[in-house]
Amino acid sequence: MAISTATKAATDALAVNRAPVSVGAQEVHRWLQSFTWDFDKNRTKYSTKYKMANDTKEQFKLIAKEYARMESVKDERQFGSLQDVLTRVDAANRVHPKWNESMKVISNFLEVGEYNAIAATGMLWDSATAPEQKNGYLGQVMDEIRHTNQCGYINYYFAKQGQDAAGHNDARRTRAIGPLWKGMKRVFSDGFISGDAVECSINLQLVGEACFTNPLIVAVTEWASANGDEMTPTVFLSIETDELRHMANGYQTVVSIANDEAASKYLNTDLNNAFWTQQKYFTPVLGMMFEYGSHFKVEPWVKTWNRWVYEDWGGIWIGRLGKYGVESPASLRDAKKDAYWAHHDLFMIAYALWPTGFFRLTLPTAEEAEWYEANYPGWYDMYGKVYEEWRARGCEDPDSGFLPLQWFIENNHPIYIDRVSQVPFCPSYSKGASTLRVLEFNGKKHSFSDQWGERMWLTEPERYECQNIFEQYEGRELSEVIAEGHGLRSDGKTLISQPHTNKDGRLWTIDDIKKIGCVFSDPLKAL
Amino acid sequence: MTIEVSGGRRGLTDPVIAATILAAIPDQPLETQRKMNYFVTPRGRRLNEYEVLCCYTQPTPDWIPGGLDWGDWTQKFHGGRPSWSNESTELHSTDWHKHRDPAFRWHALYVKDKAEEWRYTDRFLKAYSADGHVRSIDPVWRDEVLGDYLGAFGFSEYGLFNSHSSVVRDCLGDTLRMSSAMIGLDKVDNAQMIQAERTFLAKLVPGFDESTDVPKNEWTKGSIYKGARETVEEIWQGTYDWNEILFSGHMVYDPLFGQFVRREFFLRLSAYYGDNLTPFFINQMQLYHSQTKGITTDMFHTCLADDPAFGDYNKRLLRAWSDKWLPRTVNALKDFMGIFAKIPEIKGVTSKDAIEAALERVFDDWKRDYADPIGYKVDTAALIKTVLTGLK
Ligand SMILES: [Fe+2]
Ligand SMILES: [Fe+2]
Repeated sequence: MAISTATKAATDALAVNRAPVSVGAQEVHRWLQSFTWDFDKNRTKYSTKYKMANDTKEQFKLIAKEYARMESVKDERQFGSLQDVLTRVDAANRVHPKWNESMKVISNFLEVGEYNAIAATGMLWDSATAPEQKNGYLGQVMDEIRHTNQCGYINYYFAKQGQDAAGHNDARRTRAIGPLWKGMKRVFSDGFISGDAVECSINLQLVGEACFTNPLIVAVTEWASANGDEMTPTVFLSIETDELRHMANGYQTVVSIANDEAASKYLNTDLNNAFWTQQKYFTPVLGMMFEYGSHFKVEPWVKTWNRWVYEDWGGIWIGRLGKYGVESPASLRDAKKDAYWAHHDLFMIAYALWPTGFFRLTLPTAEEAEWYEANYPGWYDMYGKVYEEWRARGCEDPDSGFLPLQWFIENNHPIYIDRVSQVPFCPSYSKGASTLRVLEFNGKKHSFSDQWGERMWLTEPERYECQNIFEQYEGRELSEVIAEGHGLRSDGKTLISQPHTNKDGRLWTIDDIKKIGCVFSDPLKAL
Repeated sequence: MTIEVSGGRRGLTDPVIAATILAAIPDQPLETQRKMNYFVTPRGRRLNEYEVLCCYTQPTPDWIPGGLDWGDWTQKFHGGRPSWSNESTELHSTDWHKHRDPAFRWHALYVKDKAEEWRYTDRFLKAYSADGHVRSIDPVWRDEVLGDYLGAFGFSEYGLFNSHSSVVRDCLGDTLRMSSAMIGLDKVDNAQMIQAERTFLAKLVPGFDESTDVPKNEWTKGSIYKGARETVEEIWQGTYDWNEILFSGHMVYDPLFGQFVRREFFLRLSAYYGDNLTPFFINQMQLYHSQTKGITTDMFHTCLADDPAFGDYNKRLLRAWSDKWLPRTVNALKDFMGIFAKIPEIKGVTSKDAIEAALERVFDDWKRDYADPIGYKVDTAALIKTVLTGLK
């Protein structure tokens, strides 16, 4: 149409209709796919053995401004609740002390996952070629910033308003002392960002989000609210509203590579490795946080696990990807065994190493022991009995001079750390499936607790060179390590971590630890 | 009572559960230090919410300066490349956690602003259309300049947007990462606003072509954006150092080329062609530009150029990067001069004297705000002269 007639047409159109007109997000988004162009260097900076298709579409078609509008509506609701009614009813001081402690770990560790997911989805945004696929990942980049801030907000809120701020107020510094941290980094940090970009997407989206987000973010809200915590559901359920888009991103990642020949060769191996990587840490740690970090119980972890991980994810979710050649991971069966005992094994070790934490741990009470035995027959003989012994030796009392770690040493039950997952295990005293394997490479010994991790290491040992806490702390005295890692409260002498949450119990100080004279040794050296 | 709670009973409201919980809570809080991140050095007098929620979320070990963690990465890339590492950039810092967005925007504040801008955009467009403003736009300006050349400029913004993906992956600090994602999102927002304006015009002007075909052809094959396109491609995909990507895009190319195109061409000229619509969108882009400028000058000047140990070294490298990226940017501007032959001339507005004055404003701003702080010597008159040789 010639220019002058266009002007006349515009004027004529206005004469007929002067209704206000605007532009909707979808009207802009439908052009997005054409925003890119071809040029020589247009390729990703992060190599992947897969090829993502150029025409991949996204399911949630957002533009920048519409994204902001949607999220800010959710923010208003969430921060409104926290700052208004929950503060007025002093909700942070109506949370069970045990759960107050668990949230130090849960919120901060989830924050690490959220934070690393920013970088992970940045890498995927780079790797995808289709603008719509890039856009889906971009939305997730922004969401993960949101979630990082939200998780931080939980610790911030509990620190400001709650019954024990220590640990909530400095988790980003003190988390690095203890035995749970390096494993955390494997699943929630490095596993998301270091590797083949598609492999990272599988770790983050297909497994981390599609599989473990439900138990982690949804189930946790039930445990929280049973234990008096309404802050966590307020925040975590708001986080969860974004996760659907992330799972869709994971789904689209698979769709985008489905026709690529590499997918038929590598996809199921990558999925199996990713599943094992994630479950190896989350299965025991989540189970432990829920069951041992609460007073009121929702249901046995093994039930939650079977519902979300085995049936929902392993069955339905993976089933939906079947048409793209995706199979249920071979390691799922071994994981199912872990879901029964692994968290009980891990709690024992975590409790034995309690001074290195940034939270207070509590031994099961008599009524909890009954609950465990009812749900996990055989629990008492393996664990309950030992906890009675520890308690009788004064493990909660600063004057006792007894750390449960001594029990492991006295009974010749060395604690090793799995090189690949960085999860501690005690092969001679556990009901879970872990078995000790030791391999030597470049003059260094490496311990492993299962065949799946060992295989990953055997294929690519250069990816798993990280020293563990025993190697790092070897020869150093415990109180020194704690002080150096800032594990002290603001009085400069009381430990942040404690072996009880009894309100009348005495708190341990750094001097109580020092006089025990506990020195770290590397169990691999003794082999 | 039993400790297993069923039927969704809540500890806050269920009297029996609540009583058990209250009995277990210590009479006095166990810790008096209630400020989260109390160990962080605040930028201002007191630690603010942004610093509480963002600082040290990055879990780097202490061998990456500023990190609080220790040891190696637990999983690396195939072949053993580390998750994050000092060699990802040529610049050095004593503390990669030092950067702050001067506006202290964490996610909630950032999206709140943008959400307001979106709502206001919607109201503005409705009023604009109902008012019949569109009738006053010069037809050549509307169909050729907005339709084709503004559309083509959207690709520059979109390319710059994509240059942030590897920065978001690779950079070494938390506040850096969040700022980079935000200024990246602003760039795709710009590209989308340009498309929104074109779609809006298509709704009001029968026959106006909203498709991206012609602009894309102009961007990829035309002469006006040739230098710009080549520079953007090099920033986006030719550059691996995450600092160099940010520096080339936000400290050289955009404050010169972007500022000239947005502020001195579309924003300044639109009123002369009866166009009150484009300024509405460009002004939002200019707001983003000024926010971004605050962020990137904090990164490169406040943090890196003034680093107590590496300041001199960093300034030298930034000057070397300026040497690399300035000629390309000047060339992009020179090519862009071709656009003036496409529009109806208005004396004193689109004539050479006015263009020269506009270029002076842009180059003077750049010299004062970007070159001087790193001691970069630049002959702006000579650069402007080179640019003007592009006038047809
Ligand atoms: Fe998230
Ligand atoms: Fe997510």
